[in-house]
Amino acid sequence: MQSALQRLHSFRTRRPCFRAAGMSLVFALVLCGTARAQQIEVSGRVTSTAGDFVEGVHVLVQGTDIRTTTDAQGSYSLTAPADGVLVFTAIGYRAIALGIAGRTILDIVMEPAIAMLEQMVVTGYTEQRRADITGAVSSVDMESILNESSASVLQRLDARVSGVTVDKSGNPGGRSTVRIRGISSFQNNNPLYIIDGTPLEESFLNWLNPNDIESIQVLKDASAASIYGSRATNGVVIIETRKAGTTAEPRFTLDVKAGMAQPVRGYDAFLFTDAIQYHEVVKRAYENAGLAVPGHIYGSDPENPSVPGYIWPNDGVNQTNDLGQFGYTEDDYLWGDINQQDRQFMPASRGTNWWDAVFGTGYSVDANLGVRGSTQSLGYNVSLNYFDQEGTAAYNRYQRGSARVNTQFQIGKFRIGENMALAYEAAHGGMGDPEGFAEDNIMGKNILSQPVIPVYDASGENFASGKAIGLGVGSNPLRMAWADKDDGITNLRIFGNVFAGFDFTDDLSFTTRFGFSLLDQAFVNFDPIQPEDREPTFQNGFTEWYQDFRDWTWSNVLNYSTRLGDAHALSVLLGHEANKNQNRFAQGSFNGLITTDLDARYIQDAIGDAGTKNVFSVGGKSALLSYFGKADYNFAERYYLSATVRRDGSSRLGPNSRWGTFPAFSAGWRLSQEPFMQDNTFFTNIMLRFGYGVTGNQSIPAGRTVTQLGGDVQETFYDIGGTNNQVQVGYRQTSLGNDSLQWEENKSMNLGLDLEFFGGTVSLIIDAYQRNTDNLLFDPQQPATAGQQDPPILNVGEMRNRGVDFSLGFQGRVGNTGTWRVALNGAHYRNEIIRIDGVSNFFFGPIDTRFGNQVINQVGDPVGAFYGLEWDGFFENDAAVAAHVTQDGAAPGRLRFKNQLTVDTNDDGVPDEVDGLINAEDRVVIGSPHPDFTAGLDLGLNIGSWDFAATVFGTFGNEIFDVQKEFYVFRLFETNVRKDLLDFSAEVDADGNMTNVGTAKYPRLDQNDAFSRQLSSFYVEDGSYVRLRTLTVGYTLPPSVMPGTRIFLQGENLFTITGYSGLDPSLPAANINASSGDVRDQYRGVDRGAYPSNRVLSFGINTTF
Amino acid sequence: MTVRQWSRLLSGAAVLIFVCGATYACKDFLEAPPQGALDEGTLANQDGVEGLLRAAYRSLDWNGGGAGFEWSHSASNWVFGSVTSDDAHKGSTQGDQAGAQDIQNYNWATGEADDYLNGRWQALYDGVARANAAITLLNKVFEEDPDEISQADRDGIRGEALVLRAHFHFELWRMWGNIAYYTEHDTDTRKSNRGEAVADSLIKDLDEAAGLLTSSPRYGDPGRVTSNTALAFKGKVQVYAEDYAGALSTLRPFRTNNVYGLESDFSQVYTGFPALENGAETILAYQASANDGAPDGNNANYGERLNFPNGGPFGCCGFHQPTQNMVNYFRVDANGLPLALSDPAGWNNVDAEWDAAASAAVAFDPRVDWTVGRDDVPYKDWGVHEVGWIRDVTHAGPYSPKKSAYESASGAVSNVGWVNTQLSSMNMHIYRYADLLLLLAEAEVEAGDLDAARAIVNDIRTRAAAGVQGPVGGPMVVPITSGTVTWADYQVGLYTTPWTNQATAREAVRAERRIELALEGERFFDLRRWRAAESVLNDFLATETAAAGRGIATAGAQAFSARHALYPIPSLQIELSKVADEAGNVENRLQQNPDW
Repeated sequence: MQSALQRLHSFRTRRPCFRAAGMSLVFALVLCGTARAQQIEVSGRVTSTAGDFVEGVHVLVQGTDIRTTTDAQGSYSLTAPADGVLVFTAIGYRAIALGIAGRTILDIVMEPAIAMLEQMVVTGYTEQRRADITGAVSSVDMESILNESSASVLQRLDARVSGVTVDKSGNPGGRSTVRIRGISSFQNNNPLYIIDGTPLEESFLNWLNPNDIESIQVLKDASAASIYGSRATNGVVIIETRKAGTTAEPRFTLDVKAGMAQPVRGYDAFLFTDAIQYHEVVKRAYENAGLAVPGHIYGSDPENPSVPGYIWPNDGVNQTNDLGQFGYTEDDYLWGDINQQDRQFMPASRGTNWWDAVFGTGYSVDANLGVRGSTQSLGYNVSLNYFDQEGTAAYNRYQRGSARVNTQFQIGKFRIGENMALAYEAAHGGMGDPEGFAEDNIMGKNILSQPVIPVYDASGENFASGKAIGLGVGSNPLRMAWADKDDGITNLRIFGNVFAGFDFTDDLSFTTRFGFSLLDQAFVNFDPIQPEDREPTFQNGFTEWYQDFRDWTWSNVLNYSTRLGDAHALSVLLGHEANKNQNRFAQGSFNGLITTDLDARYIQDAIGDAGTKNVFSVGGKSALLSYFGKADYNFAERYYLSATVRRDGSSRLGPNSRWGTFPAFSAGWRLSQEPFMQDNTFFTNIMLRFGYGVTGNQSIPAGRTVTQLGGDVQETFYDIGGTNNQVQVGYRQTSLGNDSLQWEENKSMNLGLDLEFFGGTVSLIIDAYQRNTDNLLFDPQQPATAGQQDPPILNVGEMRNRGVDFSLGFQGRVGNTGTWRVALNGAHYRNEIIRIDGVSNFFFGPIDTRFGNQVINQVGDPVGAFYGLEWDGFFENDAAVAAHVTQDGAAPGRLRFKNQLTVDTNDDGVPDEVDGLINAEDRVVIGSPHPDFTAGLDLGLNIGSWDFAATVFGTFGNEIFDVQKEFYVFRLFETNVRKDLLDFSAEVDADGNMTNVGTAKYPRLDQNDAFSRQLSSFYVEDGSYVRLRTLTVGYTLPPSVMPGTRIFLQGENLFTITGYSGLDPSLPAANINASSGDVRDQYRGVDRGAYPSNRVLSFGINTTF
Repeated sequence: MTVRQWSRLLSGAAVLIFVCGATYACKDFLEAPPQGALDEGTLANQDGVEGLLRAAYRSLDWNGGGAGFEWSHSASNWVFGSVTSDDAHKGSTQGDQAGAQDIQNYNWATGEADDYLNGRWQALYDGVARANAAITLLNKVFEEDPDEISQADRDGIRGEALVLRAHFHFELWRMWGNIAYYTEHDTDTRKSNRGEAVADSLIKDLDEAAGLLTSSPRYGDPGRVTSNTALAFKGKVQVYAEDYAGALSTLRPFRTNNVYGLESDFSQVYTGFPALENGAETILAYQASANDGAPDGNNANYGERLNFPNGGPFGCCGFHQPTQNMVNYFRVDANGLPLALSDPAGWNNVDAEWDAAASAAVAFDPRVDWTVGRDDVPYKDWGVHEVGWIRDVTHAGPYSPKKSAYESASGAVSNVGWVNTQLSSMNMHIYRYADLLLLLAEAEVEAGDLDAARAIVNDIRTRAAAGVQGPVGGPMVVPITSGTVTWADYQVGLYTTPWTNQATAREAVRAERRIELALEGERFFDLRRWRAAESVLNDFLATETAAAGRGIATAGAQAFSARHALYPIPSLQIELSKVADEAGNVENRLQQNPDW
């Protein structure tokens, strides 16, 4: 009898069912004699961790022939010795052995197994048995995934799949940067997501409810991925949602989880929160520079500073202590008048903890209600989700409501159905989707605000800010958060597909599938006046935009699979796919609203200053057309061969070079099936795999094959007529085209080994690979003499990734009632730019700091390498200054930079001598954001009704460029700074000798030191960390209390081990869209003030009824 | 397989072939042209060419996202021409705009300074590229349809583009010296910057333009350059090249023929009143516009927007602050002539702030109060300048810039943009007649005609006395004799006796130039041209940082030395100029200026 699960699989695609080679997940082999005991009737019910009853579970009394199988309700009943042991086995689940101990009712929860050779895996337009896969394909442990609370499943992949990394922030609903086996392109390294057969490229996936997901497969190498040729260069993530239940009766599930989150660390852990202590830094900086210490805030005696009564823009010269000295009393308070700004009185703070003012506890709830079932002719899954997560930042919230309807009908040989999700998301506040600079948002403003600045002004009704001199140019971060509370972005998404299929014979079937992704986005933003700021704004503004994306994919696939004799299995697939997408964006903005009422925030002439109205729209269109075929053959499950070819045309590429062909093949050898291995009892599976293939990338902006011109009212238009208020049209070249653009091609080679031994209790999968990407698409910066239009996108070079990834699994028993499992995965890759074509062999990164560009892409180094001067210690005294080559601003206690070889004396193109000057030529590569090794550890333990799980993630050897040191070390813009500057800044005595050589970590506090802060390795730190990602304790209630119910408590990011001195070593990649597309990978590992990860505690309940 | 199976396989294949064919037959399936963009074909007509030309004019001030670091490019070039001189500090607070701070302090090799320099370099070469793009399309349209654009407009467009191209190259040249000159014929954007005769190229372009253009602007547009603009620039280039004979022959006709004239009083030189703009004195001005539909107000003097009092009616940002040194320089002696000339040792000995009370009885050139905002002195028609208008008096002293400020009554203010009060439609001069006259005077001095030079200086001084800052509550401009001025004893004397020798004449002309053109982005280049930069600026540093009252803005400055004669070429541009030959040898096409 087929299990319901198996029936479902064959329901979709008819494939022969193989005898298990490695299915003997049996740890009941070691038998011991059991004493005769009383025979009792034992019965019970088997459910899965997902709450479904499991049908077809074999129940065996250990050491006997007594066995039975569970029915559709998961029930069983048999007679066994009262002191016997029952062994439960089922395909796809971990076996469980449980002592009867006299009990007559034994309910069991079975967990999906780690290595599931029998599992059917969706690998591209079809399914394959796990055991038959010869490419590098990793399956995600879905149960582990559910132990996290982020909105997007992408954020939960970290640590769980070898070779896959995910960068993210703690911003609820934030962007995820999923990378498979490193980085293979200068732009767009996002994997392709295939959700129920429909492709999607994006970085969020928030609309997809993680609870709806049945399985996730990651296709890591070209031999697996090239069936998706056109967009598969960065790997493919195949996500299948739950299609149907396992029972004829509808089964309802209700899963509810509530949690509370706090930031893992705050700036208050290392920045000043005490005004007087902060003053000590200012005092030393001025004194060391030989300057008078400013006295207008803390008083004229720097040795006895005091916190004044008020800080506010008084006459700008005198101490701000007393309102009366300027002829005011508090009754003169006036807010928001541009001509009376000195009446915005702000009571000085003894020490504002700005972090606490903005960040705190965020609460969340995630509720899922589902119903599913299946009969011979109908499978269905309907689910509803409500997800509501507050950020740890004030007024920051992400909400989602989603509904999913998956149904499929089988009418004779005809299949028809749909998988459809409707999701509405709303996000408010937080940091949006930052493009790199934190100083403009609530994170940066946290650093920019000194502790003496109060949160509220004298009225207590308005926000305060550092309006007096010496307090920088920050804005109140809480005010920023507050101002965004009614702002936000909403997404309405309909994603899914309708499909139909026909089975001509048992072997031959045809499937047509029309997939679609429709997204409507709306954004509103109101900026109130900011009269309290040092650089105030007295005009409010309102912006809204709408954007829609329409994307459809139509695929048609003919599937043929057959067996020739006993030993030969062949399947052939032929297909065709067409994809079109377009988007349209329209924005309007408007200033001077005469009412700030929420209901008045529209762009209408009478509501604000009609003359400030501004509207524009942009759009894009692109298309893909593809033909593909695949053949898989195996002989006696011993020898495997697979070949794929796909041909794609892309509208984004040159008219004569837009078609690319992407072939791949792979081969496998299952040694364990060889006759000479038949006597081997140690290994249950040995499989050797090799694959080679080509994949493509064309994800550049559409329309870049031709030169574009345009204009902008404030960049090219000009008032040539001298009217003062009427500009005439002006044009410029906005981008240069390249009509011979061709596919970026990734040639990848993979060698893999799968092992299972100790009766299946230990498994090892290890893959080594090399991936070369050629014809890299990018638009290197041109000299300024070419003008400021976007440079042409070119096929510009080649890069290589070499690496190894592995996963190692163990499982075992604890006593009679428990099981445990350990899964360790690890990955190493090395990225190197092999070649850059054209006139030069490097280009800089996409974003400048205030001090220049600190990222370079150059031949011989990895993508996004850090670039700058090499920090070479401190100048210890004047003699050390004199001994060094000319370095502007060199003085004791300041940073010393290394003079590099920059002069080529023998004209061989390689510098061999130093010059006499430290300057821009002395910049070298000073670090890399790429880790040497990343690892994930998944632990699980089930004892009786209790279950425990933990996930640990580690990254090692990656470096972080902490741009925030501009502020919290160098006090640019008079910001708050690190507390340890007082203890670890270089000290110089009256003779000019440094007195704390060896312990100093920072240059001498010196108001005139504009030199130490130059971009150098001083900003670079080791970014390694190990973090306990999740820890879960679950308890399945006795059926007598509540059947089918589990409660659990889970924690996330409970502790972190790191040497990184900044906020959080877990950095998201910034959202950087350049003229060549998404180039965030050229800017990884740069700390510009990211929303830190959350420490979350959640409580939840899973029930089935 | 059975026949039946085969037939099913074939029918399945047929279905697939059918759907494949259906989409493939749709041959346009992969055609997806750019959305919302123009192509060159659409613009290959007179409107298109004129539009490209207007975009080149737009580059006279900072022009938006593509053109590099935003604060470093402005019509007045205040960062590189004024802040680096003894006229002004960067202003604001110490850490604000660290790049400009380093430029001010001659720390030109820092990354921040490098970024600032790169912004200016990028913006200027973008102007060159825009001018050349107009010429290139003009030529193309002519080739395709010789009748599309009339001969007159063809000459006009080319001529205007050549003047703009020359202007941008001139600015590059006076900052960096060693630059490459780009014409519409250049396809290699990595030309070497060595051995280029920039002055010759400038004069060649300007001569050609003067021949193509007429003396009145096309379509009567006051923003356009004319043949006179071309010649005026040519004269300036000749003075910079120390070709005084050439300068005389170029510039003398301007005065003889009264091509331009001086505004009737000094308040009308920098003004937001529309009726007063583009007057007789304007040779070339950036035509600022406000409330013109630009959402961020970027056409309203973006490059100048930091240069307003930080407090009072403006709200921000307090940059480009005049120095005590410069205010002292406006003092006059008993004859109403510059004290700096009659008392070279004593003119700069006042460290205390010149507020209204301090200067009440002191003889000052009235231009001081059209140039500098001083405490308790009326600030145009905005009321009196107050202590609280200064952002950080301990940093860069107590003065505000005034030339960049529009009048309250002018209606020039922008309604949009970040701190919109700093944005206005007031035109910024790039070249005005007084500048030309003083260049001519220099040339006359060098050629030995001291009386001609004296006459010019006296003309300028006469105008200086024509109208002075009036008190709050009355007209903004009052006669120097009005008696309503309580904050200074305004005096402007004329040089009534002939200058005795060339050196005296030279000093007088140069003093006049400093006073007349203060804060207009010329001073640093003038000092360098006069080979006076090293001594004047090091003296300035010594006195300016010594006294507490003068602020500490330049406390971190290094001495001005020989290498500061030219700005360092932005390191990014040197990197981007690298070319590798087939053997892999890398050559920097742009070579750094000496000792950077």
